[in-house]
Amino acid sequence: MTTVRRRHPELFDRLSCLENPVFLIDPVDLPLVFILRPGAAAASLTAARNADGIGATATVRGPLMALMGLLEGTSDGDALFFSRSLVFEGDTEAVVALRNAVDDAEISLFEDLLSVLGPLARPARRVVGIVAGVASRAARDMEAIRSVFAAPAVRRDDIPETSLKELGGTVAPPARSGHCSQAGNRD
Amino acid sequence: MVKGSSAHLTLGPVLFNWAPERWRDFYFRIADEAPLDTVCVGEVVCSKRAPFFAPYLADVVERLGSADKEVVLSTLALIMNEREMALVRETVENTDFLVEANDISTAALLKGRPHAVGPFVNIYNEGTLAYMARNGAERVTLPVELAASSIAALAKSAPAELEVMVFGRLPLAISARCYHARCHNLSRDNCQFVCEKNPDGFDVDTLDGEPFLAVNGVQALSHAYCNMAGDLSVLRDFGIRRFRLSPHSGDMVRIAEAFRAVLDNKMAPEEANAAIAGETGGMPLANGYFHGKAGAAFEGGSLM
Amino acid sequence: MTKKLELVCPAGTPASLRAAVDAGADVVYLGFRDATNARNFPGLNFSRDELRAGLDYAHARGAHVYVTINTFPRAGDPGPWREAVDDASALGADAIILADIGLTDYAAGAHPELRRHLSVQASASNAEAIRFYKEAFGIKRAVLPRVLTIPEIAELNRKVAIETEVFVFGGLCVMAEGRCALSSYVTGESPNINGVCSPAAHVRYEEEEGRLVSRLGGYTVNAFIEGEKAGYPTLCKGRFVAGGQARYLFEEPTSLNAVHMLPELMAAGVTALKIEGRQRGRAYISQVVAAFRRAVDAAAEGLSVPREDLVAVTEGQRKTSGVYEKTWR
Repeated sequence: MTTVRRRHPELFDRLSCLENPVFLIDPVDLPLVFILRPGAAAASLTAARNADGIGATATVRGPLMALMGLLEGTSDGDALFFSRSLVFEGDTEAVVALRNAVDDAEISLFEDLLSVLGPLARPARRVVGIVAGVASRAARDMEAIRSVFAAPAVRRDDIPETSLKELGGTVAPPARSGHCSQAGNRD
Repeated sequence: MVKGSSAHLTLGPVLFNWAPERWRDFYFRIADEAPLDTVCVGEVVCSKRAPFFAPYLADVVERLGSADKEVVLSTLALIMNEREMALVRETVENTDFLVEANDISTAALLKGRPHAVGPFVNIYNEGTLAYMARNGAERVTLPVELAASSIAALAKSAPAELEVMVFGRLPLAISARCYHARCHNLSRDNCQFVCEKNPDGFDVDTLDGEPFLAVNGVQALSHAYCNMAGDLSVLRDFGIRRFRLSPHSGDMVRIAEAFRAVLDNKMAPEEANAAIAGETGGMPLANGYFHGKAGAAFEGGSLM
Repeated sequence: MTKKLELVCPAGTPASLRAAVDAGADVVYLGFRDATNARNFPGLNFSRDELRAGLDYAHARGAHVYVTINTFPRAGDPGPWREAVDDASALGADAIILADIGLTDYAAGAHPELRRHLSVQASASNAEAIRFYKEAFGIKRAVLPRVLTIPEIAELNRKVAIETEVFVFGGLCVMAEGRCALSSYVTGESPNINGVCSPAAHVRYEEEEGRLVSRLGGYTVNAFIEGEKAGYPTLCKGRFVAGGQARYLFEEPTSLNAVHMLPELMAAGVTALKIEGRQRGRAYISQVVAAFRRAVDAAAEGLSVPREDLVAVTEGQRKTSGVYEKTWR
């Protein structure tokens, strides 16, 4: 499985000042949530039916389109928040760090989220491919995306436990130690 | 005047827009009764207020002088135009008293001549302190947000005498915009001097009704009163010899007496806290900056 | 012929630097990933290697890079700030932007050839203050505090022979910059010491009785009803109760946008325009920089400045001309 870390080491470098953060990415219009653990020991990106028992450091919740914009870096996180498209809960510093890290990585982290869906990712990636295309801004068709996820095979209740386990990818620790913000250091 | 004590008590400038007669009578009583070594006089916050106090300034200065109190002339913290600069220049050029610069421009005007630097100039480290001392600063009142470790490091280098604010609402910010006027739906240019209605500032609460700040014209102050009576001994151990009280409508003579008594080891800090609370209407106290915490925090015990 | 205004643009990450350069920035300003600059936010800013690469990228495309070192060094610990100055010099930064007198004195002595600009955080709001920095430390340019009106800026430019740079877009400090301890009063961390204002680590958003409540250091800074535009809980943009009325006491959650004032700023003798927002994303940078590139080019030709719709990226999605209009005060 392609790992997010291997593809985007700088992302984890920028997040390394947080202590084992757990991000819950919750598209409110989809029947599943994503759990991103960029911690040093066992970074992982998994999907789950719901947020039960996750104990997230921070949650980013919002419509899929708004999350996509944020995680692709094409929308400005502050702008999305000012318009209240997104709701941030929990450790706000972690959310800010995630946004800054993702923004710099010039990636579609969303595609990575989709990739953890394994065999389910193909139709999803096809949609992302459309969306990420040159003319994508106009081509973003919420219904097309929703239809991928709303397909019976992906409906939250229908995801079998085993495949959810398989979705979890464990990845290697970071190749280099990160820099940390000094914000927390006091004299 | 308290002779023979190594600790100097200073009364900072009145930051609020008190009625001119009240302002004059306040300083007269301070001259006559308060155990203070140094008294700062002069408008710091808003240039529009200065003309009201001007007619009484000479009387106040004379009364303080005859009571054997050193007079320091404080100046504007935020200078944005030629009219305000002229006001400061006039103070600087026409006096033999020590002038306290609250903006770097004023320190520039005072270059090469002994002067004081007030808490509105950013002196956070030894390099800046050394430069200001070379410029002529012989006395520096430190910014309010410095923690004990910074004060200790600065005191160690000490090319100028250092003073620390130990009482009064903390000056937290200053702006081109007048919040007092804004609260009354007025602009600064047509403010009707509404700030004179609130001798200790205009109360600002959070949406939950929690007291938070006090607005004083273009200035924002803390709601809590800085009180470092319990930190005086640690400050003295650092080598700090000058302590500043910022005037409020409570009885500043009593408050000065309490600080004097603590400095002279005649009163326990806890007893001083009680006396101070009595004069401030039981306002919350704060010394968090010194303890490396949020400024609004209050640590009852001493640092070490 | 009036000289074209220099467009100085923010970058919080290498990706943003590239976005700014690609969108037409003349200059990108940035800071190191530590407390030596006033945007010391989690996950933001540049390592030394990233600065080296950023300088290469910018220089190859004719753009410059200014390194912001505009917090006030901690007493007893000047090392990180002096290293920042030394490294900016060694890596070939085009200028450093400084606020602290002691550090500026150090930079002038240790790296006299490195161009020095005065940060807005130095709060030099009048001609005498700016002249002091110019004469004492050879400051070449002053970034003016956002407390001055355009006539005051013009007067200042007439009095002091120095380049001036003014903010034209982005988050607006309501208080005199470098003289605000509101953040540290409730969080213990300030722009001057820690390079942060209202730091995210002290922010909490909570849903309460159908309202979104934002708190900083335990103090309620704002509450939004359903559908109301929200803002980051910066203290000076909060809603408080004064005189029995809940209001935006200091400032509404607005962004500065002075794009329509470029001709006046040119006439006032300004050298450079600054866009705020090192903490904002690539999307913001690309959009805002491109818009101002068009506006600056049009203004230089004496053409009317295109109306740019940047409302979507402004805080609270409202904009203000700020103090440049005297009525703001």
